[in-house]
Amino acid sequence: MDTTQLLKGVLDAAVLAVVGAEDGYGYDVLRRLRAGGLTEVGDASVYGTLRRLYAAGALTSYVVPSEEGPHRKYYGITPAGRAQLETQTKDWGTFADTVTALLETGARP
Amino acid sequence: MSTPVSSTETAVRPEVTAFVARVRSHLADLGVDERDELTDGLEADLGEQHALGEPLPDPATYAAELRAAAGLPPATGPRSRLAQLTADLDEVRTRFLAWVQSDTVLTRTGWSVVSGVRPAWWVLRAWIAVTLLDQLVGPWEYVTLWPTLGVPLIGPLLLIVAVTVSVLIGQGRLWPGSGPDRSFAARAVLVVLNAVAVLAPLTFTGDGTGAGDSYAVAAPVTGDRKALVSGDRVVTNVYAYDASGQPVTGIQLFDQDGQPVAVSPRGEIRVDRDREVVCPWFNGTTPLWNVFPLQQRVQRFGTCAKALEAAPAPAYDQPPLDSVPPVSVAPLVTAAEPTTTSP
Repeated sequence: MDTTQLLKGVLDAAVLAVVGAEDGYGYDVLRRLRAGGLTEVGDASVYGTLRRLYAAGALTSYVVPSEEGPHRKYYGITPAGRAQLETQTKDWGTFADTVTALLETGARP
Repeated sequence: MSTPVSSTETAVRPEVTAFVARVRSHLADLGVDERDELTDGLEADLGEQHALGEPLPDPATYAAELRAAAGLPPATGPRSRLAQLTADLDEVRTRFLAWVQSDTVLTRTGWSVVSGVRPAWWVLRAWIAVTLLDQLVGPWEYVTLWPTLGVPLIGPLLLIVAVTVSVLIGQGRLWPGSGPDRSFAARAVLVVLNAVAVLAPLTFTGDGTGAGDSYAVAAPVTGDRKALVSGDRVVTNVYAYDASGQPVTGIQLFDQDGQPVAVSPRGEIRVDRDREVVCPWFNGTTPLWNVFPLQQRVQRFGTCAKALEAAPAPAYDQPPLDSVPPVSVAPLVTAAEPTTTSP
């Protein structure tokens, strides 16, 4: 099935989890998400999500100058971001359990 | 000869830079801060991605995806005229930069040379601006290194001010400058001014031919450095009479140093619709302006030295005086009275 729609709901949590594990720049985060199994994720979606989470205060960012070309923008997680990740992890767990149970048993009266 | 390309030179390929610029142009409706926030660092990320073999997608789709993921509203309908113009300007700039920074050694070297002499252009355009002003106001005159503007010192002073302003603009300190982050108006004004600076010199005249001549029609030749002056009047032709008072043709005039006493090739007898100019004598093919009287002809533009089609053949004008009283070196004492008394 097309996972693009499903991805939208959990991309925030996935990005927070990846950056929470280790600071990273845009393409680095993208690669780790893909390596983690989200192979369909689009780069612009990830970059946009990083910017939005940063604007919301869930991420910090710092610039690492590069002698070879344009600077890289690294992202790290903030305490607010960790809290958000925790909440979203819980919510996802509950939601996934519910949906899994529903799909396995069907909605029986 | 192949040029070894080190990894530092290929960190970001021009097509990536161009791609990011196009994405930015699709975000033109956002504020500068938002746009910067969205695209900051994008070049490095995409550069690496692209270097690893990922193709660059469609900039418009990419911008829309970026925008949506960042939680920003989609671009509203068709872009406004201004946004479209800005995007077009960005596009032209991007293509140009991608071209000059492309891999051919010729364009890259050429562009680095052109970039290197930019300060010289800043000085030159200031000079052009002041010279243009100099040409548009006041009497016609030859283009000179120091614009005169008819008043002592004002030309050099104005030039210094103009150079200062131009350099500050060039450095982006006095004007928002060029580039994608500036307002369209600021960029457009700069483009137009630079274009004027490039084209304006075409109207300058250094040798008395060309479009600048039209100024001479309405203006006296007092600014003409080659003018022969008697008192405060410009001499345009000379009529010589011998000692007996008869007109002489073909006299050659030289001063105390043996220099020709010549009138200006731009000398005009009349400056109205029947503008009449003086025509030279010739030594072989060399025009001489110190042999008098000079012939004249009616000619709307230019000088007689420049043979213009449809101009009538030059001819001597009627001398202002048919003859003048005879003269002598020593005063002639009139001994008439005593002699008449003698028988």
